[in-house]
Amino acid sequence: MRVTWMFTIALSLTVWGQPTVAPTPEPAGSPRGDNWGDYNITNSWEVGYRFITVDGNMGEYRSDVNYGNGIRLLGGTLGVHSRDGKGKWIDELLLDVRGLGNDPYQFSSFRMQKNSLYRYDLLWRSNEYFNPALTISNGNHQLSTNRQMQDHDLTLLPQSKLRVRMGFSNNAQNGAGLWTGQWFDTRGDEYVYQADVRRYQSEYRVGADLELRRLKLSVTRGWEFFKDDTRFGQPVFPAGDNTTDRNRLTFLRRDEPMHGRTPYWRAHLHSELATSFTIQGKFTYSDGERNFIYDEAARGTDRLGSDRNRQILVSGNGRRPVTTGYLTLSWHPNPKWTFTNQAGYHHSRMEGDGRYSELNNGTAGLTLLSFQSLGIRTISNVSEASWQPWKWAGFFGNYQFSERRIRSVELLEPELPATAAPIEQINRLKAGTGGIRLQPVKPLRMSFSAEVGRNDRPFYPTSDRDYHAINARAQYRVAKFDLSSDYRSFTNTNSTSLFLHSSSGRSWAANGGWRPFSALQFDGGYSYIHLDTLTGLAYFANFTLLDQDRSFYVSNVHTFHAGVQTQIKKRVDFYGGYVRTQDRGDGRTAAGTTSMPDAVRTPETAPAFVPAQVFPFSYQAPVIRLSILLHRNLRWNAGWQYYDYGEKFLKLQDYSAHTGFVSLSYSF
Amino acid sequence: MGRFRVEYLILVGIVSSGLAAFSQSSAKTPTNSTYVGSMACRTCHPNVALQFFRNPHNKTDVAKAVSAENAGCEGCHGPGKAHVDANGGKQTIVAFSELPPNAILDACLRCHSKDLNRANIRRSNHTQANVVCTSCHSIHRAVSNRQLLAKRQADVCYGCHSDVRAQFSQPFKHRVNEGFMTCSDCHNPHGTEAPVWKAGRRPHLVNSGLQNEQACLKCHTDKRGPFLYEHAAVRVDGCETCHSPHGSANTRLLKRPVVFTVCLECHNGAGNFGRQADGVTVQSASHNMADPRYRNCTTCHVRIHGSNADRTFLR
Repeated sequence: MRVTWMFTIALSLTVWGQPTVAPTPEPAGSPRGDNWGDYNITNSWEVGYRFITVDGNMGEYRSDVNYGNGIRLLGGTLGVHSRDGKGKWIDELLLDVRGLGNDPYQFSSFRMQKNSLYRYDLLWRSNEYFNPALTISNGNHQLSTNRQMQDHDLTLLPQSKLRVRMGFSNNAQNGAGLWTGQWFDTRGDEYVYQADVRRYQSEYRVGADLELRRLKLSVTRGWEFFKDDTRFGQPVFPAGDNTTDRNRLTFLRRDEPMHGRTPYWRAHLHSELATSFTIQGKFTYSDGERNFIYDEAARGTDRLGSDRNRQILVSGNGRRPVTTGYLTLSWHPNPKWTFTNQAGYHHSRMEGDGRYSELNNGTAGLTLLSFQSLGIRTISNVSEASWQPWKWAGFFGNYQFSERRIRSVELLEPELPATAAPIEQINRLKAGTGGIRLQPVKPLRMSFSAEVGRNDRPFYPTSDRDYHAINARAQYRVAKFDLSSDYRSFTNTNSTSLFLHSSSGRSWAANGGWRPFSALQFDGGYSYIHLDTLTGLAYFANFTLLDQDRSFYVSNVHTFHAGVQTQIKKRVDFYGGYVRTQDRGDGRTAAGTTSMPDAVRTPETAPAFVPAQVFPFSYQAPVIRLSILLHRNLRWNAGWQYYDYGEKFLKLQDYSAHTGFVSLSYSF
Repeated sequence: MGRFRVEYLILVGIVSSGLAAFSQSSAKTPTNSTYVGSMACRTCHPNVALQFFRNPHNKTDVAKAVSAENAGCEGCHGPGKAHVDANGGKQTIVAFSELPPNAILDACLRCHSKDLNRANIRRSNHTQANVVCTSCHSIHRAVSNRQLLAKRQADVCYGCHSDVRAQFSQPFKHRVNEGFMTCSDCHNPHGTEAPVWKAGRRPHLVNSGLQNEQACLKCHTDKRGPFLYEHAAVRVDGCETCHSPHGSANTRLLKRPVVFTVCLECHNGAGNFGRQADGVTVQSASHNMADPRYRNCTTCHVRIHGSNADRTFLR
């Protein structure tokens, strides 16, 4: 019985996803735990050694996987519960940890509570992030940072009609990076320089929830503080990226601290005026502010070979007050019908001022006060209805109208006299959805919905304009077998006076799991995600404007996964799995060929765009894991996971990696 | 200073009135002849009952002020007298496996509607598709006592959202499979308001950030601003204009393998798009796209999410 229960947990952990090879999901020790006074304690701790070997591009490996060698606390759980629910100070204490020691993804959650008196939650996370960004900046925007986030939440009187909440969060990003910049004129060379990334955000919040008869009110007051004190150092090389350019940067100092705060209010009101009618309102207001200084000094040679020095000083602040409100009315006249109407309002206004001073070769340049604003106001209304005439079938539908007004005051020319261009534009979105849900027999659930939307003036050539979407889903689930399948498509056409942007995406997937008996389980699935977009381009090539070209992008991603888990003689647990992701592109065999339809192909189609139409690659990760019960409280675990990444055309980033671990899980 | 003092006084008032309310909560449990109490259930359901002290719902059994219809087993499964008298049977008790989806929702919301994160649950896409509480949560066989989810959170979501699972199997992705993040860091599966920070329609079930903005900015705080020069793409249409948030084959989760097509697909001057309503600005003639040097736009336009020093995001 005990082992069966443990196995049920293990199956639940691994039934669909294929997480990384460690930690081991099978815990050590009895799930019933041990009694200690009035408390019951369960725990399991897994300590082991991770190892890796990587062939190929280490940077891409670190971007995708990033596990390293060393001893880790791979995972751990601790549960302390008062058996009668009447502990003196604690009724429940939960701790979960993962990857502590030096894993790139570390996680810890902690909960402590005393029934009716308090509940404290802590979530702590750490991520070692590495990304050379080879394909988008020649590796010149490399980042190797650590991000640590923690959230503390304390609720007083969690079960009473008046609850008090307090919380604190912070988010710190520190590390090294490479930046790029351009100096001395807009046709000057680009240089790589170092950055010491130092960003810190903290948030304090306090609030209360009140229940009075049918009325529920929640109010939160919070303050967010942010500072970016990233320091920038010397250029990596005095010569820039362009080796034919005579431009040189011999000295650079740049500081651009940015500090600010965002105080906010949130209020939420929910009222059940009658059993069939509810009304709720939500209101938020925040007032973001950032104060900044940009201080830069640079020396070098311009592209004509003249000595140059330049100093730039910018100071000022940016502000953004945001107001949002919702009013939702729901009416349930009987169990078959539900009507809802939600009206929303959002107003955001960005404004600020800055003082820009520039000295070139000791000569004071222009000093001006620039000003710009961007205001966005959105009004939205959604009316929804749901009808369940029969137990096995129901219908739902909604209609939405949104109006978004964008006001912008843009400084078109930075030189005096400044020319500010006030702009106002309004776009309206009308969209409707209809759907049906079916449950002809108890284990089978199906749903189908279709949506049509029209946006009269989208903001970008790639925004949704005339679109339709289809969603279909079916799921069959019984005790030993489940099968699900879903289909989605989204087609958008955004035509303009010169160009046509169209995008068409569709995905289809099927997943299944089979548990012939309690000690054996199979699962597997396949998904196909297709995307093709066609967009008009306009760009200069050798000072000639080409405005009839097209960007055509095709992606055909196939993903397959399979897994088997078995338990042998209630002592040995084995898991084997395989995941393969492959983008077949448009089926071309060489990067320089194109599959662009003849109807849209133009003579100007630049060679640069042809390889960018596809990105065929394959990525696979088989995994096996073994866990052996040595003693009631002790398990021995080992696993291996292989990663293989390969691009079809450019092999620069290809890699393969063996990762694995050996560990012991122990319960005291 | 005075403002903070007022807020401090309000806080003290709230705390002390809450403590007062707590100290007075000594209502007696009403008696009802159809309720038999949780002890009676232990006789036939020992596996559930013996482990129930770990379950968050156990609070209802031990708290003093909870009425019989909201306490213990019968708080969810209804009065048990008929069930006991009949020696069991799903017809004599509220068995969730037999309930239609809307009845399950009603049963859970009797208590859980007080959490306002669930205020939109009845109009959520999940409810519309008959995905209700017990589709994801398992009250008696949960993998964790924290949220009583039937499986690890990502696996619960992958069970239906297979396409999302495929996106997280891409080389570049947010670290959900690795356990660093969960789906609910960005999404509220219980329903959200219309995302009016965008056009109000999409994305579905996505939480909003601190300034009622896209959820991405909850963590990527350096991109939030406000900046003196905003890249309107971030503010108006959101991060998804350029990025695929779940996963991508492209570095920085970009939608395209190279950066210049990401930029040029909008910056083509066509129609009445953009802030000036006369097309999004075409790059200047000095950008020679025939030269590979100009195809890494962000090498120079390095502050592409917003800048305080340059309107073209050069610094």
